[in-house]
Amino acid sequence: MRFDTLSDLKNYKNEISQKQDKGKEIWICGGPGCVANGSMAIAEEFIKALGNKSSSDENTSLWHSIKVLIRPEEKETEKLIRTGITGCMGPCENGPVVHVEPDGLYYQKVTVDDIEGIIGSIKENIPYKAKAMSGLDDKPAEVPSAENIPFLAKQKKIILGKMSTMSPLDLEDYIAHGGYSGLIRALESMAPEEICNEIKASGLRGRGGGGFPTGVKWESCRNSASEMRYVLVNGDEGDPGAFMDRALMEGDPYSVIEGLTIGAYAIGSSEGIIYVRHEYPLAVKRLANAIKNLEEAGLLGTNILGTGFDFHVEICEGGGSFVCGESTALMTSIEGKPGVPRVKYIRSTERGLWESPTVLNNVETWANVPHIITNGSEWFRSIGTENNSGTKVFALVGKVKNTGLVEVPMGTTLRQIIYDIGGGVAQKRPFKAVQTGGPSGGCLPASMLDTPVDFDSLTEAGSMMGSGGMIVMDDRTCMVDIARYFIDFLVEESCGKCVPCREGLKKMQMILHDLTNGKGREGDTKALEDLAEDISDTSLCALGQSAANPVLSTIKYFKEEYIEHEKEHFCRSGVCQGMFRIKIDEEKCKSCGLCSKNCPADTIEKLDSGKYCIKQEGCIRCGACFEVCPFSSVDIVNEVIDDD
Amino acid sequence: MIEITINDIPLKVEKGTTILHAAQANGIDIPTLCNHEGLTLDGNCRLCSVEIEDMGNKKIVASCMFPITRNISVETETERVRRARNTVLQLLVNRNPKAPIIQQLCAKYGVDREERFALEPDLCIRCGRCVRACEAGGTKAIELVGRGFDRHVAPPYELETDACIGCLSCATVCPTGKITYEETPGKRKIWYKEFDVLQCKRCGIYFATKEMLDWAGRPENDRDHCNHCQKYIESVKFLTESQKK
Repeated sequence: MRFDTLSDLKNYKNEISQKQDKGKEIWICGGPGCVANGSMAIAEEFIKALGNKSSSDENTSLWHSIKVLIRPEEKETEKLIRTGITGCMGPCENGPVVHVEPDGLYYQKVTVDDIEGIIGSIKENIPYKAKAMSGLDDKPAEVPSAENIPFLAKQKKIILGKMSTMSPLDLEDYIAHGGYSGLIRALESMAPEEICNEIKASGLRGRGGGGFPTGVKWESCRNSASEMRYVLVNGDEGDPGAFMDRALMEGDPYSVIEGLTIGAYAIGSSEGIIYVRHEYPLAVKRLANAIKNLEEAGLLGTNILGTGFDFHVEICEGGGSFVCGESTALMTSIEGKPGVPRVKYIRSTERGLWESPTVLNNVETWANVPHIITNGSEWFRSIGTENNSGTKVFALVGKVKNTGLVEVPMGTTLRQIIYDIGGGVAQKRPFKAVQTGGPSGGCLPASMLDTPVDFDSLTEAGSMMGSGGMIVMDDRTCMVDIARYFIDFLVEESCGKCVPCREGLKKMQMILHDLTNGKGREGDTKALEDLAEDISDTSLCALGQSAANPVLSTIKYFKEEYIEHEKEHFCRSGVCQGMFRIKIDEEKCKSCGLCSKNCPADTIEKLDSGKYCIKQEGCIRCGACFEVCPFSSVDIVNEVIDDD
Repeated sequence: MIEITINDIPLKVEKGTTILHAAQANGIDIPTLCNHEGLTLDGNCRLCSVEIEDMGNKKIVASCMFPITRNISVETETERVRRARNTVLQLLVNRNPKAPIIQQLCAKYGVDREERFALEPDLCIRCGRCVRACEAGGTKAIELVGRGFDRHVAPPYELETDACIGCLSCATVCPTGKITYEETPGKRKIWYKEFDVLQCKRCGIYFATKEMLDWAGRPENDRDHCNHCQKYIESVKFLTESQKK
C-alpha cells in the first residue's frame, strides 16, 4: 500500500467505502484496565475459538478473518468473523469489555467461559444476554448497544469515536474509518493560511489545560521569521489518575499524527517530534508502528502525496519527570538537557525548541484537528458552548461507580458527568468533592456540581480543566489529607529551579503534615493561604504558579475541616490517624455483628442488649467497621471533646 | 526607544532592555541573587520580582529577564512586590541562615528566620551561577543534579571528572561562599579532584593548573611564566630588539 498522489489515496478511500458487505467483528478492549483484567488472554482464546493460532500482540496485527456460518436468514451463508484488539473503549470499571460490530453491542466483565456464548450469539444474530452491559436500571440491557447503556449514551464520542471499532496498529483500518480525509482536504483545497484561519474559527483551545486558542498559536508561529519551525506533541501525561492521552496514543495513534501533519503543513514545518513519557511503553510502540506504516504508505516523509510537502516525525521518550509536561521544560528535555523550565517572557512560537519557532500542542488537541478540517469549523463550533467549542475527554476515576474514559461536549455539567455517565458515587456513599485538573487543579464541593465543565467556568470556580483528570471523592475523604497528598506529589516533582516552588512547597508540606498529624497550630490555615498566594505570584513556571491550587481550593470550600484540624485536632472524615475516634451508635445498631466479624483488632464486643460496642483501648481506627456497617451506625467522633 | 515608567519616573529605554538594567541605569535599587553580569540569565531566585502593568494586566515578573518591548509601567515597591520579595527571602533564610548575603538582605528588608520551618543550614541557594560560569568557560564540569528540594550542584556521579580544569570560576561567582577549595603551594583541590598548580619562574606566584593551560591551548614548552610575567618578558624582548635596530 503506497500512495504517491492525492488521487491514489482518494481512489483507495472510495474503494473501501464501496465495500458494503461488512462482516461481523469482535473487538476486545486493549485499554490498560481491561488488559489488567485479562483481556489479552480472552483475545487469544477468541482467536483459538475461531480456529486460528494465537499470536502475540505487536508482531502481527490481531486481525483474523475466519469463515464462520451465520444463519439469520433461512439459507445458511458463510460470513467472516474478524477479531482484534482495540484501544481503550471507556467502560474501564466493567472490563474486560468486548464489542461486537456492526451491531454495536457491548459486553462487560467477559471471561474465557463466555467466548463460546458470544460467538454462538453472533451466529444466531442475537445479543448474548449473560454479559450484556448494564442498562438504565442497572440490569443487563436487553440490547446492549451504546444508546441503551447510560455510560455510553450520554457521551459524544468524536475523538474516541473510532477507538472501539478499529485496530490501533492498522493504517488500512484507520483510513477505512474516515482517517486521512482531513489531510486530503487540507492538501487539496486549502492554503496553509486558510487552515490556520479554519482552526481559529473553530475556537479550538489547547486541551493540555491552558486553554490557549490553538489557531492563534499556529498563526503566530507561522508569522515568525525563521527557516526552521517545529511542531511538537505533548504526550507527557503525568497527572495522577489521568489516562486520556495514553488512551489516544495507544488506541488511535494515526489521528494524532494526521493532526500533526496538517498542523505542520499549516505553519510551514517539516519536522515533528512526539514527546511521550517513558512510562508509556505501549504508546511509544504503537506510535512507532504508526510512523513506520505511514512512511511506507507515503503519508510521512518527503513529497507527501505528490504535493511537495515534506514532513518527518520522530518520537522522543521523556525522562520521567512530571514537570516535563510544561512546555519549556519539555523543549529543554528534547534538547538533551535536564527537563527544567525556562522563563517564558518570549513565546515558544517565536523562540522555542533549539531557538526556532515551535508549536507545542497536547495529544488531544492534535487529535481534534483532522475532525475540524474534515467537517469544518462551523460543525465544530456547534458542539460545546460559545467560547469552549468541541468535546473534552476525561478520565473519570476515584469513588465513582463507573470509572472510565469519557468524552463529553464542553459545557456538560459536573453532575451530568458524575451522576448520569458515572452512575454516582460508588457504594451509594454521599458525594463530597470532585478534583479536576490534576495536582495543580482544585477540589469542588457538591454545591458546585452544576458548574459547566469548560476552561473558564472551572477556573472561575477555583479549579482548572487541566488535561482532563476527574477524581470523585466520597465522605470518607479528608480534604486536608487530599491537599497534603497533592502537595507531597508536587514537592516530589518540582524541578527545584526557582525558590518559591522548591522551598515554598516544602514549607507548605510541613504545615500540612503538622495539620494531618494532629500537630496543627493556631493560624496554620491562614499561613497556608498566604504562602499559597505568594508561591503562585512568584514561581517561574506554570507548575509552581498553579501548585497552590489544591490548597487554595480546599480551603475555599472546606475551611471548616481545616479549622477542625487546626484547632480541635479532629478529622471528621476518619482519615488522619489519631485525630478521631470510632463509636457505634447504639440506637442505629441492628445487632448484625458484621462490624465485629470484620474488625482486624478484635475489639468490637457484643453488649448484653445485643448491640455492639467498640472497646477504645484496642481500636486501631482502621475504619473497617465503618465500611461494612449496612445501617450507617458507625460514627466518627472527636476524640478530644469526648474525653473532656 | 520605548517610553516606560518605573515607580512613576518616566524613562526612555531601548527595545529589549530588561527591566533590571533600565532600573539600575537610573539608580533604582532592585535586589538580585542569581543574576551575574558576566553570565547567561536564568531568573531562578525570583528576588528581583517587580510588579508591572502591561495592557491593563498587573502581574509580578522577574525583572532580570523581562525584556521591555512595549509601554509598560513598573513598580518596585508595592505591597505585592514587598510580599513576594519577603517570601522569597524568608524561604531562603530558613534554609540558608549562615550565608552572609542572605543575612544582609534579611536585615535590609526586615525578614526573620522562622524556627518552626528552620531546615538544616546549608550555604547553597541553588542559584546555579557556578554551573553557568562553568558552562560559559566551555568546560561543563558541574551541573545542578537531583530534583526539587534535593537539587544540588555536583560533577557527574559526584566523582572527580576530567572535565574540571580547576579554574575556580565556580567558586568566584558563588554569592554565598558555598563552593570551597583547598589550596596549598603547588596543589589545589576542588570537586573531589587534585590539581598541580604551576609556579611562575619569574615572580613565583602559583598561576594556573596544568589542565587550565591545556584547555587554553598553551604549548607545553611555554608554561614557565604567569600571564603578567609572560607579557613583561615579551615586551622587554620587543624593546631590546627595536633598540638594536
